[in-house]
Amino acid sequence: MFGYLIRRFLAMIPVLVIVAAITFILMHAAPGGPWDRDPSAKQLDATTLKRMNEYYGLDKPLWRQFTAYVFGDFNSKGAFICGAICGNLGPSYRVRGMTVQSILFSPPEDKPFWYSKFGYSARLGVFALLFAIVIGIPVGIFSALNRNSIFDYIGLFITTVGISVPNFVIAIYLIIIFGSWLHLIAIVPKSWEPISAWILPAVVLGFGTLARTARMTRASMLEVIRQDYIRTARAKGLAERVVITRHMIKNAMIPVVTILGPALAGLVTGAFIIETMFSFPGMGREYVLSIQRRDYSMIMGTTLLFAFLVALANLSVDIVYVFLDPRIKLS
Amino acid sequence: MATATGNEQNIANLDMPTKRRSLWADAWYRLFRNKGAVVGMVVIAIFLLIAIFASVIFPPTVNGVKNPHAPLTINDGKGFLPPAWIAEGPNGQKSDPSFILGTDTLGRDVLSRVLYGARVSMVVGFVPTIIMLVVGLVIGLYSGYQGGWVDNVLMRLTDIIWAFPDLLFFIIVMIALRDTPLGQAFNGLLMLFGALALVNWVGEARVVRGQVLSLKEKEFVEAARCIGATDTRIMFKHILPNSLGPVIIMSAMMVPGMIITEAILGFLGLGLIPAQDPNSFFITSWGALMLEGQTALNAQPWLLLGAATCVALVVLSFNFLGDGLRDAFDPRLQGTQ
Amino acid sequence: MRSKLFAVLSLLIVASMVLAACQTPTPEVKEVVKTVVVENKVVETVVVEKAGETTVITATPAPAAPVAKEALLRINLGTYPDIIDPQKSSFVNEIGHLKLMYEGLTRLNDKLETIPAAAEKWEYSADATELTFTLRKDLKYSDGTILNAKRFEYSILRNIDPATAGEYGSITDEIVGAAEWRGSSPDDAAGADLKAAVEVRALDAAGQPCKDYEQADCLTLKLKFRQPAPYFHTVMSLWVTFPAKEENIAEGGDNWWNSSKFHTGNGPFVLESLEPFVRAYFVPNANYWRGQATYNIEFRYINDAAVSFEAYKNNEFDIIGAGAEDIATIKADAVLSKELMQYAGGCTYAVYFTATKPPFDDPKVRQAFAQALDREGWVKDVLKGNGSPAHTWVVPGCPGYVAEDNKWGYNPEEAKKALAESKYAGNMPEVVATFGDTPRNRTRWEWLVAKWKEVLGVDIKLNPVEPTTFTALTKEKETIPQMFILGWCMDYPDPQNWLSVYWMSTSSYAQRYSFSNAEMDEWMKKGDTESDPVKRMENYKQAQLILSDQAAVAYMWNNLNSYLVKPWVKGVVTTPQDSDFAGSNDPLTITIDTTMLP
Repeated sequence: MFGYLIRRFLAMIPVLVIVAAITFILMHAAPGGPWDRDPSAKQLDATTLKRMNEYYGLDKPLWRQFTAYVFGDFNSKGAFICGAICGNLGPSYRVRGMTVQSILFSPPEDKPFWYSKFGYSARLGVFALLFAIVIGIPVGIFSALNRNSIFDYIGLFITTVGISVPNFVIAIYLIIIFGSWLHLIAIVPKSWEPISAWILPAVVLGFGTLARTARMTRASMLEVIRQDYIRTARAKGLAERVVITRHMIKNAMIPVVTILGPALAGLVTGAFIIETMFSFPGMGREYVLSIQRRDYSMIMGTTLLFAFLVALANLSVDIVYVFLDPRIKLS
Repeated sequence: MATATGNEQNIANLDMPTKRRSLWADAWYRLFRNKGAVVGMVVIAIFLLIAIFASVIFPPTVNGVKNPHAPLTINDGKGFLPPAWIAEGPNGQKSDPSFILGTDTLGRDVLSRVLYGARVSMVVGFVPTIIMLVVGLVIGLYSGYQGGWVDNVLMRLTDIIWAFPDLLFFIIVMIALRDTPLGQAFNGLLMLFGALALVNWVGEARVVRGQVLSLKEKEFVEAARCIGATDTRIMFKHILPNSLGPVIIMSAMMVPGMIITEAILGFLGLGLIPAQDPNSFFITSWGALMLEGQTALNAQPWLLLGAATCVALVVLSFNFLGDGLRDAFDPRLQGTQ
Repeated sequence: MRSKLFAVLSLLIVASMVLAACQTPTPEVKEVVKTVVVENKVVETVVVEKAGETTVITATPAPAAPVAKEALLRINLGTYPDIIDPQKSSFVNEIGHLKLMYEGLTRLNDKLETIPAAAEKWEYSADATELTFTLRKDLKYSDGTILNAKRFEYSILRNIDPATAGEYGSITDEIVGAAEWRGSSPDDAAGADLKAAVEVRALDAAGQPCKDYEQADCLTLKLKFRQPAPYFHTVMSLWVTFPAKEENIAEGGDNWWNSSKFHTGNGPFVLESLEPFVRAYFVPNANYWRGQATYNIEFRYINDAAVSFEAYKNNEFDIIGAGAEDIATIKADAVLSKELMQYAGGCTYAVYFTATKPPFDDPKVRQAFAQALDREGWVKDVLKGNGSPAHTWVVPGCPGYVAEDNKWGYNPEEAKKALAESKYAGNMPEVVATFGDTPRNRTRWEWLVAKWKEVLGVDIKLNPVEPTTFTALTKEKETIPQMFILGWCMDYPDPQNWLSVYWMSTSSYAQRYSFSNAEMDEWMKKGDTESDPVKRMENYKQAQLILSDQAAVAYMWNNLNSYLVKPWVKGVVTTPQDSDFAGSNDPLTITIDTTMLP
């Protein structure tokens, strides 16, 4: 087990380097650069442009920019600046004077880490995932056990909405209902301190995942119900409750866990829509806008973070498999 | 405790003497006996018919005169008309009974745009999903069954594809291929499928692999191996049918994702090239209508609601059909009614 | 499932979305709470009106009694700034913050005339190559420290400093030595000499260079220009001259601006707290020379117009921008229609024809396309009234606007004739229109090409590209598309900014579009250097007439500022230069009538 973990962590290094290389090639191949702001904005003049390119090393050959980003390089004064391997994700092109890691991970003064952008996003992502799991899995199980009942159809209807209706639509409807009609919440949260302010964003963010989890649980449960060992378990006289919990649910969780792992990685790296609609200080906007703005170091930084989390999530999923089905071996 | 009674009955009927049918005939037979699946098929068939005959319902010209209800006809001064059953919209516009769902910002008939939208969205919803299903199944099965370094390499590959920024990838694809015949094929739709399928099979592959990891240790696989079945046979005849349920559901959930993604890509310049010829086949899509509609939800909610309802109906039908298909192909129900 | 693409959806959420059926029902029961404060003692009268009956309850002062409502102006600014640094900011939302906290040497009044601000007067030398500002006596920062001319010297120099590298660095290039220093490398050993050569001098009463920031008689700021610049006092109203404190910038480091404690300013408001991406809270500056505002300001950053509109209707915002799609709905609503403020803005949008690419190398073709543009229809059907038809380059209401410059208006007959007379009549090459792909742009271009097809019979191919790609394409002479829409928003209200900065053949803009007209250059140069205001405007007028004559661009529309303003926000004075909220040009005229608050 320990050896396996070591090997898997070592395997992350090539994964991250390849992701970095692909991203680097793609972003430099994309037309336009960090200085191409939208046409209504003032553009840099030629003198300043040259200065900026020098400052950010954009005048160097691409291979050197890449190695400088990932491993490090000597600056104009001869000092070695360590790259991403030391946790230095580079200076942001858009918010000049700040590094990517300080934008993402530094909390405002006197605040603990979870007040950083990543901290906010991670908290919201975890809430959303909890919401999805706590509701999605029981709904899926119950729907499968009561197949074609009225409950199954209601579940199907709600999950279909969750899957087919984009979340900005769900968000605005919920805001209208709970904010404008019922006056239960402030549309513009006064503060993110009280937990009540987090409910609506977490629900909107988690709804799609909830729907997928519920459908997947149901499908997987139906698959398991048909298996021989369930019949065997019943045949040997096990209580129905035991059959369901110990044999059905445990075995049915494998595909559910498979989709939940990467979903968590996606949820904690932020959600642009939620952030713009609820004025939420997370990192999703960095993730999405950096591409449009060609903020090279931010694209690399957010992508590497996401890649790391995906790899970590998939590793966790593989380990959870063993707990769900002891016959699965970690190779 | 309620259990899956239908199955138990079927199992109970296992030894009833029935005429042997082929797996396929058998599956069809059971599929058509499933009410949900039939309803699903009918709805999908209706949408297919609408897609094919949209230009008959709303032709670009009527008797040589431009049809005001054609999806590309701009009706000046009739922007954002409310649907026919609302006398006056919140924007003060009076409805026109001939525009049943009202009009969009340029005075184009929303109903005809929704109907024409079925063409792009049905194609975009299903074709990449099928490609992804096949690629994901093969890679997932192979990876899970072989295990070892094959599994390791393939799964690290999925980690990579999962994480790299696909938006950038789409932008590059657009720049590189936009002006080639490939990029122009079917108003740009062909390129779209390729790009979509290429980065989205990973989820499917991981789910299949997870199933295989568990199933390959099960008794029936061991049994098959003992009687000397080949790996290919075990993978496709024994393991695959037992993991179909989650796979089919996964695919059903992909469809709306693809429909919306198509519209988003539209705003990266990768989507459908805007049609100007009223006779062209692909004119607009549900995804595009939804995005247009959300900017104008206040003035013309039907742009969004019409398209969203269609997407939901298709997803619902596909869910029913998927459920039915799953049951129909259940290896344990072979030869039963 | 990959959620990233879904996230990108939101990039496209530019405008509003609110469900039609979901209008807030008017409550039938009205509660009116009036509070009278008499010398610290709260005497409270509550009038409760219920449907049918009215009860008046007079309460004795109690600790739990509601106190006077806070005079707070809650504004949705949309996007959080990338940077709030006077010499590095360039975007309207960034400048919106700066304008509250700082004030330049001059400012604009409601007629867009330049009037004294921190400087009480200014004087040009006879040839307009020298500009001398005299600061007000006893100017103070919000923390009570002295604000003298040395501070402005620092700010202007910081704007020129090659290490600053701001978007607006070039705006002060007319100052002697500025372009040279700005063009040098920040590591250059000669930097100090180049800096010393820049002709920005803070002088004391004796005419000697000021020593430090504490010197109270340091009230003169002298600028020398490399050529006459009689418009420069207007440039000095811009945010690049805002006197942020050197010691604060040094202490805070590169991101000093990201914390309220380093923003010590001389503007009408003081930044009390800044919570990035959540809110900025401003309180009145007691040391502001024009007096103290009577209310606080809170900026929020909801980037979604539908949510913003919903929050406004729910009384959570006092001022929001109104989206084009909602204008008709607002106008049809009895209450909201009274709260809508719509007035001319400071931008001109036009269709650009690249004169180096056929068929637009023929002026007749450009003329035909310009005359086939139904601007009234465009404004009504496409912009939904959120704009006004443009026939000139300089916006109406800005100094230098020429009313008779109304060429190439909508005239289908003339347009057809012009096209028939062009050398491409009958053998039109392929015309491709390129645009940044957004839902709005798609419908806009679909409308445009349909109309051109209708009038001219020309088929135009649409080429939507990713928005940043579009910017990149339009910035290079080599990649410039054949036909596209762009706009220009004035930095400061002077025809020099509209014409010389943009259309002079040496300007980077004109070079991109391959526009060059020697005669027009001549008129613009004359205008830039002429000291007599009347003659100056006459020169710019000639330049504008040539610009229109060339039909290099077809003017299409001017933007309208559209804001929803709650009725208790009084005294809003609007100008075309308002950028973030109605009345932002002079927030001191605004008051909040707290008795009207719900």
